[in-house]
Amino acid sequence: MVRLGRVLFATAAALGVSLSAVQASELRVGFTLDAMTLDPANHRNRETETIIRNMYDGLVTRDGDMKVVPEIAESYELVSPTVYDFRIRDGITFHDGSPLTAEDVRFTLERLTAEGAMGDGQTSPRKSLLGPVESVEVRDGNTVRITLSEPWPILPAMLPFQEIVSKAFVEKVGTEGLATQVNGTGPFKLVDWRKGDAIIMERFEDYYGGAPSIEPVGKACVERAIFKIIPESASRVAALLSGDVDIINELPPFSIEQVKSNPGTDVMTVNGTRSFFVAMNMEGELFSNPKVRQAAAHAIDKDLIIDRILGGNAARIEGILSPDAFAASTDLPVYEYDPEKARALLAEAGYPDGVEVTMDTVGAYKDIAEAVASLLTKGGFNTRVAVGEGAQMTQKWRTKGGPKSGDMYFTSWGNGSLDPFDIFTPTHRTNDRGNSAGYANPEVDRLLDEAAVELDTEKRAALYRKAEQIVNAELPYLYLWVPQDIYGVSKRLKGWRPSADSRINLHDACVD
Amino acid sequence: MSLGKLAERLLHLVPVLLGVSVIVFLMMALTPGDPVDIMIGDQNVTPQQEQAMREDLGLDLPVHRQFFVFLGNAVQGDFGTSFYHRRPVLDVIVERLPATIELSLVALIIALVTAIPLGVLAAIRRNSILDKMATVGSLLGVSLPGFWFGILLLMLFAVHLQLLPVSGRIGFDSEIEPITHFLLIDTLLRGRPDAFWDALKHILLPAITLGLPMTAILMRVTRTSMLEVMRQDYIVFAEAKGLKRGRILFRHALKNALIPTVSVAAIETGSLLGGNMIVETVFGWPGLGRLVVESVFLRNYPLVQAAVLFYAVTYVLLNFIADILYTTLNPRVKL
Repeated sequence: MVRLGRVLFATAAALGVSLSAVQASELRVGFTLDAMTLDPANHRNRETETIIRNMYDGLVTRDGDMKVVPEIAESYELVSPTVYDFRIRDGITFHDGSPLTAEDVRFTLERLTAEGAMGDGQTSPRKSLLGPVESVEVRDGNTVRITLSEPWPILPAMLPFQEIVSKAFVEKVGTEGLATQVNGTGPFKLVDWRKGDAIIMERFEDYYGGAPSIEPVGKACVERAIFKIIPESASRVAALLSGDVDIINELPPFSIEQVKSNPGTDVMTVNGTRSFFVAMNMEGELFSNPKVRQAAAHAIDKDLIIDRILGGNAARIEGILSPDAFAASTDLPVYEYDPEKARALLAEAGYPDGVEVTMDTVGAYKDIAEAVASLLTKGGFNTRVAVGEGAQMTQKWRTKGGPKSGDMYFTSWGNGSLDPFDIFTPTHRTNDRGNSAGYANPEVDRLLDEAAVELDTEKRAALYRKAEQIVNAELPYLYLWVPQDIYGVSKRLKGWRPSADSRINLHDACVD
Repeated sequence: MSLGKLAERLLHLVPVLLGVSVIVFLMMALTPGDPVDIMIGDQNVTPQQEQAMREDLGLDLPVHRQFFVFLGNAVQGDFGTSFYHRRPVLDVIVERLPATIELSLVALIIALVTAIPLGVLAAIRRNSILDKMATVGSLLGVSLPGFWFGILLLMLFAVHLQLLPVSGRIGFDSEIEPITHFLLIDTLLRGRPDAFWDALKHILLPAITLGLPMTAILMRVTRTSMLEVMRQDYIVFAEAKGLKRGRILFRHALKNALIPTVSVAAIETGSLLGGNMIVETVFGWPGLGRLVVESVFLRNYPLVQAAVLFYAVTYVLLNFIADILYTTLNPRVKL
């Protein structure tokens, strides 16, 4: 018994030596999902992007205001509507010490866009992100020319997430090797990838400094940066509270108070890029009636939900675009919250006793959809929320022109590029991928198609504004809000700000 | 068991695996949700580009042809390429396997060393306070959801008491060169007791969470069978002979009482695999369970198919082991 007691005591003592003190300049991020691969050209996954963008730089990047600015490129210009020239900066080296050349940039872009360029007949899954890129060539040593098959004004907006790889390195290790090895030009080098557990990086001492227009320019502040993968949100919050990590992403709104009231931690938010809305099935008899759609719009008190459920962390929208997006309108008419008017409009439309409707959504949105449903119910739409799994809902509602069943669909669409092309077109163009309302208006189609290839920024913005006026009046969707992205941070973290494009850029982050 | 019987049992694996692959393939194919749609997400792509991605993943073929392609490759040991990792699924699975096996084994050990003594105690002190507490405890153990119990443990030991880490397999200061890929073994082989402690601290909470339902079940099985054995004539005879109670319990009763415990343990080890999916998610444990959960949501067909086949093989083998153990421990039974 005495021996057992000793063993227990020793165990307790060993456990009592709590987590060893974190090294002075080590930064840890508690992150939702592991990278799928470390090859920048071989994924279509936002979490993967967030992680590897700390080890790889792109031709361009975005500053704090989400403006596209040169990074590896020194400058770029539009030579003709279908030709862009990117001048490559001197003095950039890869992690292995070899210099970056225009040829590496050409190789990277070709690997992304040419059929079968990944080797073994594989084409990069990112090809479609670079739409009409037709050819890439090197001119006078340090200029890379990109030729498009048609005018495509959003090319620069799509380039921050295409990272430059070393041609020699890829030829040495192959696409297979690039999945697990990194030789980038970014501020951090890969030390170890413990798959499913953590990505450990250390500072690249010969970093060229990053985009000159984003202060501070120079090598990274911390010596070691780690992405620690913690998928469950309660566990991620626990890791932050216990001091195990310094930043966590996707802090659930109901944990905001807990993180704020804990002495060592705080909450940071940034305007997100994901618009939330409710699609009304315009192919169905009920919602084909504009009065019914207007009634629904008047039934929803957006401010109440933003205030009470989202903790004030969202911006309301009257059209599809986020207030930060290019060409977002500020003067769209507002459908005021007015349940009486909603009932009256429903009665005018021939439903004096109200209607029964079902609103589909996914598990993650259930709570908030329930809140919307209770408001709709007060406005005469007796709404039942039906929860399905994401992939299943996509198939039911985003039918790309196929027949649609169902009444309403509470959903969202992300717009990381903050360009209307990526959100307005798919959700509103006839039969397009994200058109869950089944909306069809040739005038809107025309405006969206013209805007997609219009190079004059003013004219382009005007086209989108006009389209947004139309959809605000016709209401295929109940446009709701754009929530902020919420991060939990430790108070020893300095110099880091969350970014609206959901990047976690650790270059400027310091820890006390 | 004769060699012939053994071979026969192993042959049973073939139809089982074939059946499982048909079922898992059909289930994935019939589940609504399209991998390409999920992969494209909220991006704006043309129908041609979408079609190209579909062809690239081999999803443009009709389902029955996809199945035969899968089956043809699978018998040659090629389970295809993960849609997301873009590497052979077998490689991806094998990387994650040691973490899952290590966690399951530690959970099994925890379950065995707590369940058997508790079960025996509850049986010999039948209807005592201890027995009643054990019964209530085992009811709780079976009914508490793993994700809830796990987070409860996390909040207590990691956040409030700060005794144990929140997530992961080992700390960042305890890097070791892998040998067996089982960290508890590798750290010792490398002569790093500090890293061993670190790994042990990491595995404790997830293993307890994972092992809890099994502990509860094994405890009840042990208790019941111990009670049964204690009523047997030979025990009564031993008592009448005046043997010491300890000798009767441990030399005569326990041996026979443990037969059902052992075979239930072998079968229940299979259900640890299922529990892994939840526990690994809660504790950020880098194992196969979490990978499979992620893959189901992303409709990463090749990975899910290969992983389910792996689970099926493991389950069949564990049942097989249970049978062998049962006949070895209990020579009265012949297969």
